[in-house]
Amino acid sequence: MAGQGHLQIDSVSKAFRVNGAPLNVLDSVDLSVAPGEFLTIVGASGCGKSTLLRLIAGLDTEFAGNVVLDGKRVIEPSLDRGLVFQEPRLFPWLTVAQNVALGLLNAGLSKAQKSRSVAEHIALVGLTGFQDAYPHLLSGGMAQRAAIARGLVNRPGVLLLDEPFGSLDALTRARLQDELQRIWAAEGITMLLVTHDVEEAVYLGDRVVVMAPGPGRIAATFDVPQPRPRDRANPALARLQDRVMAALVSTTSEQSPAPHAASRPALAARAFLPEQGFRPI
Amino acid sequence: MRVAKISARAWLPIPPAIIAPLFPIVLLALWSVSARFGWLPPQILPSPGEVWAALLDMAHSGDLAGNAGISLLRVVEGFAAGSVLGLLLGVAMGLSPKTEDYVKPLFTAFAQVPTLGWIPFLMLLVGIGEPLKVLVIAKAAFVPVTLNTLAGIRAVPPMYREVGALFRFSRWQLLRKVVLPAAVPPIFTGLRYGLTHAWNALVAVELLASAEGLGYLLVWGRQMFWLDTMMAAMLIIGIVGFTLDRIMAAVEARLQRWRLA
Repeated sequence: MAGQGHLQIDSVSKAFRVNGAPLNVLDSVDLSVAPGEFLTIVGASGCGKSTLLRLIAGLDTEFAGNVVLDGKRVIEPSLDRGLVFQEPRLFPWLTVAQNVALGLLNAGLSKAQKSRSVAEHIALVGLTGFQDAYPHLLSGGMAQRAAIARGLVNRPGVLLLDEPFGSLDALTRARLQDELQRIWAAEGITMLLVTHDVEEAVYLGDRVVVMAPGPGRIAATFDVPQPRPRDRANPALARLQDRVMAALVSTTSEQSPAPHAASRPALAARAFLPEQGFRPI
Repeated sequence: MRVAKISARAWLPIPPAIIAPLFPIVLLALWSVSARFGWLPPQILPSPGEVWAALLDMAHSGDLAGNAGISLLRVVEGFAAGSVLGLLLGVAMGLSPKTEDYVKPLFTAFAQVPTLGWIPFLMLLVGIGEPLKVLVIAKAAFVPVTLNTLAGIRAVPPMYREVGALFRFSRWQLLRKVVLPAAVPPIFTGLRYGLTHAWNALVAVELLASAEGLGYLLVWGRQMFWLDTMMAAMLIIGIVGFTLDRIMAAVEARLQRWRLA
């Protein structure tokens, strides 16, 4: 069921219409992600990194260029591409296990297979014992673990993560970063994580992509050769962080004053995203 | 400091089950006192004892059960028809803006004509038999149920729908698993409004065109100047309406039991 997880992004461009005028959010983005690679994308607000993730997820199909996963063009969402949002987006009327199981609604598994898979993935994210809890009883970190379990329950070839730890406290974030690495190693799948946190991007990624805003494009790519498990205090990682940070800073300072004018409407456009992303049922 | 603390605490421990009957008891006492001292003529305000006697009398003769049963049946039939239609139309418009474009203007015009305004026309159309009552009650329930269902479905966060899209939910799965559960509170608000409107419409239509039912008892009591009978009918209408509303609240709480967990 799980594909290879080889993701190919070919000159992808995307524009929103803001007050009738087109606003370029992504400008010919090219990216190739190897099977099993952990790729992190870091960028300032409004650089289109979340939009790129939504295009890969198939939630937004109006764009130029191609997104290809294992030789198949992305034209709609697929169970082979999991997505974890910044907010857990659990349904409050369902328990943790029911929320995770919802991901399997169209997986074509038997009831027994489903409940086994749900239990396995709840165990994978360390939530065993909380499967019957309702989301409002969970802490932010636990809710995000449940969301990760839901994103993984179909055993997708690629897991996309859109600033998944952005709203967590520092300690919980560090713990979940380590958990995510462990899960990535255990599942052997491709992961694409979008973040605005340079430290997170360097600590987690095999490769770090820096995106620039106005319009969103790839500014630089860094390899992270450090073997895992990694030590957060490793000076080589710290040096790389500095380089990534420098590249990130230069993306917002090189064009002035235009970038501010351009990045604000981009933010406004992002606010409309949920409306545009799905077809009205 | 200490005093403030104690007085603040004195408010808290009274359970609602004790607070709720306070006003009714005070009203009843006021009513008794008023009747005893003849503040209002007994032809206008009979004493609680007389009303109670009338109630018992009607209960013994079977008038009470007969008339209440007829009214209840009308409300149940009309409310069921009106709320099912309202749910269907509300869901249809909520899910499809196109349907809303087609139907909403006519619906709004239809809803703006008060329920009572429909009675003369409906009388000409279906006569003054049972269909008239059920139609009038159905109309009264239909409007608030439709509007609240529509608003509730529109208010379902797009974020939730997106999760459904991600897992390739069909329209039906999205409705069943995401949209309806998320819209339970507003839908029940509509149903409870609908039920209240249904009762109002029942009494109105029975006042105008019926020879049985609780509304009819009201008219009859007034015409014969049997005010004890009239007030007994009012009491029963209030109690039955209150009970139905409680039942709706219990069903809603059952559907939302995750809130308690």
